[in-house]
Amino acid sequence: MENDFKREARKQYWLFFRFWFIGIGILAVTATVMAMAQNTTRFVRERQNMQAPSERVYDYANVLTDAEEDKLRELIAEKEALIGCDLVLVTMEQPVEGVEAKETYGYRFADWESNMQDIADDFYDNHFFGYDAPYGDGALLLDNWYEGQEGTHLSTCGKVFDKFGDREIDRALTCVDDYIDSDPYSAYSASILYITEVMSGEKTGLGSVFLLLILIVPIAAAGTFTGTHLRSKEGKITTTATTYIEGGRPVMNVQRDDFVRKHVSQRKIQTSSSSSGGGGGRGGAHVSSGGHSHGGGSHRR
Amino acid sequence: MIFKCKNCGGNSVYSPEKKRMYCPFCESENSEERQYEHARMQICPNCGGEVSYTEHTSALQCPYCENYIIFDERIEGAYAPGRIILFKLSKENVKELIRDKFRKCTFAPTDFLSEARLNTITGEYIPFWIYNYDARCRFQGEGVKRRTWVTGNTEYTETSYYHVVRDMNIDFQGIPADASVKMPDEIMDLLEPYNYGEMIPFRPEYMSGFLGEKYNMAAEIIENRAHAKMESSAATILQQSIKGYSSLKPAYRNIAAPSPDTEFALLPVWVYRYIYKEKEYPFYVNGQTGKIIGSTPVSKAKVWAYGATLWACLTIALVLIAVIIM
Repeated sequence: MENDFKREARKQYWLFFRFWFIGIGILAVTATVMAMAQNTTRFVRERQNMQAPSERVYDYANVLTDAEEDKLRELIAEKEALIGCDLVLVTMEQPVEGVEAKETYGYRFADWESNMQDIADDFYDNHFFGYDAPYGDGALLLDNWYEGQEGTHLSTCGKVFDKFGDREIDRALTCVDDYIDSDPYSAYSASILYITEVMSGEKTGLGSVFLLLILIVPIAAAGTFTGTHLRSKEGKITTTATTYIEGGRPVMNVQRDDFVRKHVSQRKIQTSSSSSGGGGGRGGAHVSSGGHSHGGGSHRR
Repeated sequence: MIFKCKNCGGNSVYSPEKKRMYCPFCESENSEERQYEHARMQICPNCGGEVSYTEHTSALQCPYCENYIIFDERIEGAYAPGRIILFKLSKENVKELIRDKFRKCTFAPTDFLSEARLNTITGEYIPFWIYNYDARCRFQGEGVKRRTWVTGNTEYTETSYYHVVRDMNIDFQGIPADASVKMPDEIMDLLEPYNYGEMIPFRPEYMSGFLGEKYNMAAEIIENRAHAKMESSAATILQQSIKGYSSLKPAYRNIAAPSPDTEFALLPVWVYRYIYKEKEYPFYVNGQTGKIIGSTPVSKAKVWAYGATLWACLTIALVLIAVIIM
C-alpha cells in the first residue's frame, strides 16, 4: 500500500514536470550545438586591412622594457582577433602645450588636449590603422610622459567610436591612471583589457540584467508556487450586497446632489530643462585633420 | 417515524434525481407509508439496535439496519420547519463534482478521491433561521469634485462642493444564519447563496434518506449574524449610490431596521469528512447549487519538493537561454 502511494507520487511528479524536463533538454542541446559552432567561427574573422603596419606598440618614451613590449604585443594580437579591432599603444615624451611648442612642432593649437587629440588621430590615420579597412575599426592609446604635461588620450574609430560613450572612454583612461605611476605595463594592459571587454560583447549591459533575472525570477516563481499551495483556500464568497434584496435594488426616497459653491485656484507650472548625458557610444566625436571621424577623450595627470 | 415501502417493506427515501419518494430495494416510486410514529428515541424501531443521537438530532441512519429514522417530536410544534429546499444533487452528482474539482490537486493525498472514501458522504438538512429586514438608510454630507486643466503654463484647479442627501428603503428578504452549533458559521456563509425560488413547504418524508437537526438556538440569539450581513450590504449599497466625488465628508449616516420577520427552514448540505493523519478535513457542498467549500490536506514535503524542482528548472532554463543568446 505504502509502496503504491510512493509509486503514484513519483508518477505524478514526472507527469507534472515532464514539459519542463523536455524543454530543458532541448535548450541544453541547442546551447551545446551553438557553443560548438561558435568555437569554430569565433576566431576566424579575417583581418581585411593589409595597408597598416604590423607593429602595435610604439614606445617612443621608452617606459617599457623589451619584455613588456613583447608581452603587450602578444596581448594585443590575441585581443584584436577576438574583437576585430586594431589596438595601438603610443608613448611619447614631447611638449604639446604653449605657443612655443606649437611653433616648434607645427601643431594646430596651443592647448594640451587639442594637440593630444590631433597627435593620436593623425598617428592612427597616417598608419592606416583599422581592422576592417584603413581608418576603420580600432582605438589608439597615446600616453605623454613630458614633464609637467603628462597625460593620456584615447582615440576611437569605427565600431569602437560607435560603442564608446564618454563613460567608457573615461573608464578606459582611468585604467591607465590607476597604475601608471607604479607600473606602466599594467596600466596599458588594463586599459586594453577594458576596451576588449566592452567590445567583446553585450557582457557588461545585458549580462548583469540576465544575472539578475536568473537570480530573481526562479526564486519569485518557486516562492509564489510554494506559498499558494501551502496555504489552501476554503472557498470564495459568492454573495453580493444585493443578493438578498427584494427586486435586486433599493427604493430611493430621496437622492439629491445640490451644488453649493465652487472656487478655482491656479498655479504656475515650473518648467525645468535638464539633459542627461552618458552612455550609448560616440563619445567626444570629431573629425581629424585628415578628414576621418574619430572619438575620444583625455586624462591629464 | 420510518418511511417504509408498501410493496416490499424496504426503507423508502427521497430521491433528488427522480424528485420523488423512491424505494431502492424494489424500485417502486411514491410507495411510502409512515410507520413507527412517535417511537422511542434510544432504539431503532425497525431493528431494535441502539442508536446514538444528540440533543438536536432530528433524523439519522440506524448503523445496523441502515433505515433512516425521523424523530417526530423534533420536526413538530415549535420545531416544525416552515419551508425546505430539497436536495437537488444526488450523492453520485456530488461525488462527481468533488472529483472534478480536486482531480488536478497534485498535493492531496492519493486516496482523497477514492470511491471508498467518497462513499462516506452524507446529506444533511441544516437548520437555518431566515431573516427579512425592512431597512432604512439615510445619509447627509458634503461631496467635493475637483477638476484640473492647464492653459499655457498655468494649472487651474476647480473645486466644487455639493450637499449630498440619500434616503432609501431596502427590503432584505431571506438573509440566512445557520442554527446549528456543529456547523462552522463561516463555512455556512460561504455556501450561500441558495435559490429561494425552489423553497417549498416542509413535509416529513423529504427528510427520509438524509440526516437532520432541529434548530439548536432561538432566532433572537443568532440574529446579530444576520443583522451584520444586512448592515454591511446596506452600507455597500449606500456607498454605491454616491458616485463621482473626489472626496466625501459625512455629516449624518444611519442604517436602521425594526425587528425582522423570521422563518425556520431546512437547507441541504452534503458533507464529506475526510480524515488524514488523524485530522479531519471536512468538505461541504451546497446540496442545491453544488458549490464546494473546504480545502484538501496538503503534504508539505511534497509542496517543498515541487517548489525546489521548479526553482531548479527555471534557473537551468534561464542559464541555458543566456548561453544561447549571448
